[in-house]
Amino acid sequence: MSPTDFSWEPAYIALATLAAVSYARGDRPPRWRLASFAAGLFLVAAPLDSPMETIAAKRLLLVHLVQNALIADIAPILVLLGLTPAMKAWLERRGAARIRARWAILAWLAAWYGTHLAGFYNWALDTGWALNIEHGLLIAGGLLFWWPIVSGRLPAPAAIAYLGAGFVASSFLGLAFIFSTHPFYSFYEHAPRLWGFSAIRDQNLGGIAMNGEQTLVFLVAIGWYVSQLLREESLQER
Amino acid sequence: MAPVALAAVAALLFAQAIVRLRRRGRADLAGWDRVALFGLGLAVTLVALLGPIDRLGEEKYLSVHMLQHVLIGDLAPALMTVAVRGPLLVFLLPAGVLAPLARSARVRATLSTLLRPRVAFGLWAANLATWHVPYLYDLALRHDSVHYFEHGCWVVAGFLMWTLLVDPGSHKRLTVGGRIALAAALFACGQVLADVLIFSFHPLYPAYPRRTDQQLAGIVMMAEQLVTLGTLAFVLLRPRLRASRLVAA
Repeated sequence: MSPTDFSWEPAYIALATLAAVSYARGDRPPRWRLASFAAGLFLVAAPLDSPMETIAAKRLLLVHLVQNALIADIAPILVLLGLTPAMKAWLERRGAARIRARWAILAWLAAWYGTHLAGFYNWALDTGWALNIEHGLLIAGGLLFWWPIVSGRLPAPAAIAYLGAGFVASSFLGLAFIFSTHPFYSFYEHAPRLWGFSAIRDQNLGGIAMNGEQTLVFLVAIGWYVSQLLREESLQER
Repeated sequence: MAPVALAAVAALLFAQAIVRLRRRGRADLAGWDRVALFGLGLAVTLVALLGPIDRLGEEKYLSVHMLQHVLIGDLAPALMTVAVRGPLLVFLLPAGVLAPLARSARVRATLSTLLRPRVAFGLWAANLATWHVPYLYDLALRHDSVHYFEHGCWVVAGFLMWTLLVDPGSHKRLTVGGRIALAAALFACGQVLADVLIFSFHPLYPAYPRRTDQQLAGIVMMAEQLVTLGTLAFVLLRPRLRASRLVAA
């Protein structure tokens, strides 16, 4: 299979379509929310249904890790930011209000580390269909983690602590990839190479990409809440 | 031996401050916890500048050299600044030395300028960037005088930052939110350097040819900052977290 061939995970096209239809039937959102929601859905569907999926599932761990970072970190934030207050209230009435930050972070970390365990990862790659489970767990974990933040239930100090804890706790996986001296996944060890990367170089680069993406996302989010904290203080002073 | 002499002077100044404050009946402001913190700060400095850390850092490993810099430029100033917070700070210099300094308009103006958050942060960031330019890093390794000057810069920059973060004299130059913002900005700056070291595919410093060692140096910087600035953020945020929990309850 050529690296430029398309591969498909149709379940996620269907889910993205369903989400888009539901969104269109809701109240009229401001443009930025619409754009955010659409970008989030695109970042779920496109990485999983494109040549990116072919390379991720057949050739390079680097691309698979970038794909995971997109669907687990960036897409969930964008999707949740795209929800209007009425949509959030609707979700809260149907159980989202019961999501506690401490459990959300644990579930997210379990999904993050659990799906990257060698046994699970190799199994998902070997079977092919189990990649749907891996990606589903990562997307669900990302939505759970970012919900307490985007729902607005956490005050700024708690949000900073939550994001700080998430940043530190999740960074070990990327660091393990960066500093590894042997490939973690036998699947990629025997996969046909691409762009001249050895298996270990591929893994190190994957860790760098993952770590860089997380650093950027978390620092931006923490920075936003610090600015909120400063704004609250200046309002109190007045 | 310069570090030992300077540490001895610092220890003497701190000891006389403790004794004077206790004689005034304020042992509560000059407890053993302060002595332990200050002692730990001095010990961290000496361990970093003498012995295997100094030798390995200069001769073999960039990661150990980085460890030395974060110890003398971040952890030690943090510990010592926390140790002298409150009235102890005023007693740190004997009255005969403090009085003329405090009366000097020039000294006051200089300190006031240096401790403006934007100025202090700018100096800290410039110091961080400057000393990691490969040419200067190499120069410091080749010339002891430059190396001593570099270490002096780390220590001064560290004390400037931690004076703003801890606010030992309760000058309130920054609000709690401002201090957290400063800590976040310091971490973000440090992270840029750490990422350059971690993500580089080639060794940046001629004296340290191992790429893994260079990546480890980035991790050392990130981990140390996480510990010091993370602890500070936790201490500053804790009362607010408690308050928000009470409101929620």
